[in-house]
Amino acid sequence: MAIRVALIGNPNVGKSLIFNNLTGGKAHVGNWPGKTVERKEGRCVYEGVEMEIIDLPGVYSLTANSIDELIARDYIVEEKPDVVVDIVDASNLERNLYLTLQLIELEANLVVALNKMDIARDMGYEIDVKALSEILGLPVVPTVATTKQGMDELKKAIIKAAQQRGRRRIRRISYGKDLEAIISTIEGILKKDRVLSSRYPTRWLAIKVLEGDEEVLRRIDRSPVKAELMEVLG
Amino acid sequence: MDSRGGKVQRRLSDLKPGEGGKIVRITGPPSLRRRLLDMGLVKGAYIEVVRKAPLGDPMEFLVKGYNLSLRKEECDNVYVST
Repeated sequence: MAIRVALIGNPNVGKSLIFNNLTGGKAHVGNWPGKTVERKEGRCVYEGVEMEIIDLPGVYSLTANSIDELIARDYIVEEKPDVVVDIVDASNLERNLYLTLQLIELEANLVVALNKMDIARDMGYEIDVKALSEILGLPVVPTVATTKQGMDELKKAIIKAAQQRGRRRIRRISYGKDLEAIISTIEGILKKDRVLSSRYPTRWLAIKVLEGDEEVLRRIDRSPVKAELMEVLG
Repeated sequence: MDSRGGKVQRRLSDLKPGEGGKIVRITGPPSLRRRLLDMGLVKGAYIEVVRKAPLGDPMEFLVKGYNLSLRKEECDNVYVST
């Protein structure tokens, strides 16, 4: 079976270029069902392993506020691709890593492509890739999409991540003592809803409930644990 | 202009090209605040006006090393101390 790979990243990080590099430019282009947002799919074979690659919309974040963000988020949460490649602009790490953290929270099986390494270098940045990988707890592959550097390494990292799926430890981003207490209380309640907790990461749901995320709240509206939740939330 | 805690706060929409300041406050509906935060307009970040379109809408900014265009309504909700 082909590995299902989703590409995600901020706008203008070179996502389409990486998509073209991986698929050889042969893409099936359509729309997301019922939406006028482009959906691009392509194939890639590397060392006998087949990969199905889908290009998600460019987003800064994964809230329920814009249609692009919702499409990207729903795809990752509902379709559960084998590997999610987060394409990060190395010349603009601070802003880009925000999405990375959100993807970690979504418990996606991540590989980080650190793109535009040439521009970062020109700007005088020296990025310690190994240290970044350790801090994030994720494989990080430096790439330059314009000259196709790092593409084989990226494919290797995708295949490796697919093999390790479900066995990798997910790094937890701590929100501090006060919030963590509430998050774990809410998570405990959400876990009692078997349907919900089998479909979504419960910690992610708990955080979204606290954020007042409309989509997530709508889903919880039909849950048998709603009353108990409302008691805690007040 | 608004002065809270003794420091002068100005809205992004009131700045001229070349002027900048530290973000101190973001107002407006939660969805707008959230979106601005997502784009890196967080408290304490330095933001500078690059240029302004005629009538001041939209405006282009430099924040955290990248360029960002914002509409007037968005600029009205971001306060900086200069």
